[in-house]
Amino acid sequence: MSERIKAILLQELYITRGSLEIVIDLFYTSLMTVVVFGLVSGFLTGVLNPNTGSYLILGMLLWDVIRVNQYSITVGSLWNIWSHNLSNMFVAPLSLLEYVIAGLLSGLLKTLVIFAMISVVAAAWFHFNIGRIGVVNLALFFGNLTLFAWSVGLVLLGIVFLIGTRIQALAWGAVFIFQPLTAAFFPLRVLPPAVRAVAYGIPPTWVFEAARRALADPSVDWTSAGIAFGENLLYLGIGVWAFYLMWSRSRDSGQFARNDG
Amino acid sequence: MSTPLLQVENLVKDFDGFRAVDQVSFTIPKGRIIGLLGPNGAGKTTTIHMLLGITTPTAGRITYFGQDFATHRQACLQRINFASSYNTLQGRITVAQNLIVFGHLYGIRRPEAKIRKWADYFEVTPLLHRRYWDLSTGQRTRVNLIKALLNDPELILMDEPTAALDPDIADKTLSLIEEIRRTAGVSILYTSHRMAEVTRICDEVIFLDHGRIFAQDTPLGLTKRIRSARLRLTVEADRDTVAAFLAERAQTFRFSQDHTVVIDTTEDRIPELIFGLSERGVWITDIDVEKPTLEDVFLKIARGDANV
Repeated sequence: MSERIKAILLQELYITRGSLEIVIDLFYTSLMTVVVFGLVSGFLTGVLNPNTGSYLILGMLLWDVIRVNQYSITVGSLWNIWSHNLSNMFVAPLSLLEYVIAGLLSGLLKTLVIFAMISVVAAAWFHFNIGRIGVVNLALFFGNLTLFAWSVGLVLLGIVFLIGTRIQALAWGAVFIFQPLTAAFFPLRVLPPAVRAVAYGIPPTWVFEAARRALADPSVDWTSAGIAFGENLLYLGIGVWAFYLMWSRSRDSGQFARNDG
Repeated sequence: MSTPLLQVENLVKDFDGFRAVDQVSFTIPKGRIIGLLGPNGAGKTTTIHMLLGITTPTAGRITYFGQDFATHRQACLQRINFASSYNTLQGRITVAQNLIVFGHLYGIRRPEAKIRKWADYFEVTPLLHRRYWDLSTGQRTRVNLIKALLNDPELILMDEPTAALDPDIADKTLSLIEEIRRTAGVSILYTSHRMAEVTRICDEVIFLDHGRIFAQDTPLGLTKRIRSARLRLTVEADRDTVAAFLAERAQTFRFSQDHTVVIDTTEDRIPELIFGLSERGVWITDIDVEKPTLEDVFLKIARGDANV
């Protein structure tokens, strides 16, 4: 691994370990959400079909893969902007690619830890074992949701670089627009037909639908996985292109340097 | 002739129709300290941001160590560094953690020994395990300087590095800058508003105004461009005699005390005035000539005086 990628990961570790805000934003929020969703799911399981009752906690566990990955990528840079340190890092021989790779890796590592933590809580306290959807399914779902989060994270990071911290709330808030659109907690058929057509164009929709089906039948739905992956490649391509465009524009306009001061 | 460490050719930066930097060209040879001065809005910061690669030039070329910066960014940045009193390090982690991160960013596998060495020099060793945001401004500046020295740079860009330092630490910092230039041949591009510092350490000064290079010379050469001088004479003579002599020669003067006259004149007329008064029987007991300083040059440029 490049020494510079290691440096960024090390910094992420130091910041995460020493910041109560990050502990609350990531670990505490995830923990409280799984508790609430676990209780509601438990109640619904009692009055509905047991699989239908599990939609909420399943959706919550998988949604956190998107939330934590995206949060880490975008807000990770904001910690340095708020400290007036971002340009210090970019006047070191750090390439944009190394910075982005480190951000994606850091997001992935945090997501793995948090996902493991809330999955254990869901299993131990609410008798919901995420493994019942199948290990291959779980890996495919996790991978597709991570790719989607990376695309969204890169676009939001580009917007922060381009416009500055005055739109920083987007960094942790914007991703939630996809929560209803991708039918994270309910069957897709609940959405109005016009919105449903849009939803099919968003990769997590295929993941959440397949995950709900997998509660009853854990065999792998390769078609849904393939469509989600294909859409993700398109999203990632657009995300990388948009991010690079906004990064270049922020250096042209002087905003990138002003972000620190 | 050896390759300059930094060569800037016709650098231009436009922001939405406003030209912030206009055809700036200069070089920094090995071992030289070049001051970049100018009033607020002169284009100093934009120039430094372009030299560091965090703002893209509209036109022009930047070459470090004979390599085009646009195409060899990482190789160039590996050999230079930056210190500013305006940029800070990551506030949420400790000083040591910050410096370890930057050590790795500069490709140093085990930066701890180097960090300890500079921490001792700058007297921040007791602060290494404190969070950066708990430090005073002066302490932060010293830590920033350590960051700037971690990769043994050949060229350091310093943007007002002593702005927040106590006089003794500022003096120590300047001594260090002089020492690393002398022993390691490090070159420095130095911006500061403290003219005494610039006069002390800079071999050459570039004055920017409205994005253009207005004047470029040694500090002494620049001050010589101002011909005005203030002559203070203590005399044993009748006040009217002195006043009449100076009035005849169209001099601007005032008596600060009964026997002390202050004359605002030009350097070339000083002998004429002294000898002329002596010939009129005026006994001069003390002569003091106040020569222009770099600060006077700076003020003249800032006030739009074209005669510099």
